[in-house]
Amino acid sequence: MTETEAPNIEEKSTIAKLPILAALVALAGIADAIFLTVHHYNAEPVPCGGPFDCEMVLSSPYSTLSGFVGNVPVIGDMPLSIFGAVAYFIAFCFAILAAFGDRRTWLLFGVQSTLMATFACYLFYLQSVVIRAYCQWCLISAGISTALFIIFIISIFVKRRLA
Amino acid sequence: MKNTPQTKSNAPMLIIGAVLVIALLGGWYLISSSKPGTNSNIAKANNGNSASTPKQPTVPANAPQGATPPNQTGSATALVTIEEFADFQCPQCAATHPIMNEIKSTYGSRIRFIYRNYPLDIPAHDKSYDASVAAEAAGMQNKFWDMQNMLFSNQKAWTADPNFKQIWKDYAQKIGLDVPKWENDMAGIAARARVDEDKKRAKGLNVSSTPTVFINNVEIPFAQVNVAGLKQIIDAELQKAAPQGQQPAPAAPANAAK
Repeated sequence: MTETEAPNIEEKSTIAKLPILAALVALAGIADAIFLTVHHYNAEPVPCGGPFDCEMVLSSPYSTLSGFVGNVPVIGDMPLSIFGAVAYFIAFCFAILAAFGDRRTWLLFGVQSTLMATFACYLFYLQSVVIRAYCQWCLISAGISTALFIIFIISIFVKRRLA
Repeated sequence: MKNTPQTKSNAPMLIIGAVLVIALLGGWYLISSSKPGTNSNIAKANNGNSASTPKQPTVPANAPQGATPPNQTGSATALVTIEEFADFQCPQCAATHPIMNEIKSTYGSRIRFIYRNYPLDIPAHDKSYDASVAAEAAGMQNKFWDMQNMLFSNQKAWTADPNFKQIWKDYAQKIGLDVPKWENDMAGIAARARVDEDKKRAKGLNVSSTPTVFINNVEIPFAQVNVAGLKQIIDAELQKAAPQGQQPAPAAPANAAK
């Protein structure tokens, strides 16, 4: 009895650890997004070096969002990083709730991380094809979104093995 | 026993709340503690040097001259020359436009302001080169600054519109250009040559992003490209260049207090 239960306990504990890991990764995403937002509002260039050209990326029209209803601006030139911070925070909430046993929020985390990873791919496309310059802080954010998605995929495989 | 599940259900909310509060307070603190134009920010941008002490000239003597004569305002013999490299499709350049207008109106003939075209060769700025040519063609009727103002002030309107050339034509009419001549000049070689000359100068000076501003041949960190930051440098340059015994009046009360 004890022999057959042992691997299950181990795998169950892996499942419990994944949302905690996801929450920590999402925290890193929040920090990165806040860093970029602060630099945007202070009009300060971010630290950038080597093959990266952060200013080219962060001053491109794709780095901000403006919303119009007709001709009336409802949001004006908000940096994309603000939306990133909100997205990471939502992912963090889902992960924390899942870590405390709410299974439904882990599914919501899956949906959220999939959307974020897809958007990260689009932003990577913009950097590599349209803007033709890379920003290391944007690439870190893309990596974090991808990591959240991978954590969710791993949880599915672990769950299947358990079943 | 009854307390245990309740504690469990409160814990995630407490963590989420704590993270939210830390994130908001942290972000607010970082933004408010380092506003552009404040002394700390300017000093930081100068890598700890005195904010009013410009660095060594960053323009090599053999750098390409750019379009000659350049698009300039103020006095050609002024003691302070501001040279801005900008791209008509760059949002930060449009944001810098009113800053430069304020600087120009504050200092008048005490400064020389030169505008250089630096349309970036990136797909996202696909209309930028043509916009520079449109402004240069307007310059052939002495209306460069009017067209430059129209293009920056209405950047969002024409950037997103596939009929942007019609919009520019409307601007040309509005500022009183001879439109057929302006269109003819846009298609000609002279306006393009001027844009190309400015681009050569930008590349010669290793300008990698827009806007890039030089004051008396010293590249100014972007963090300092705001009214207070520029005034501080200009005042210092005017003071440095003024003959002994004559102290030029500072431009702004804020700077006078410093």
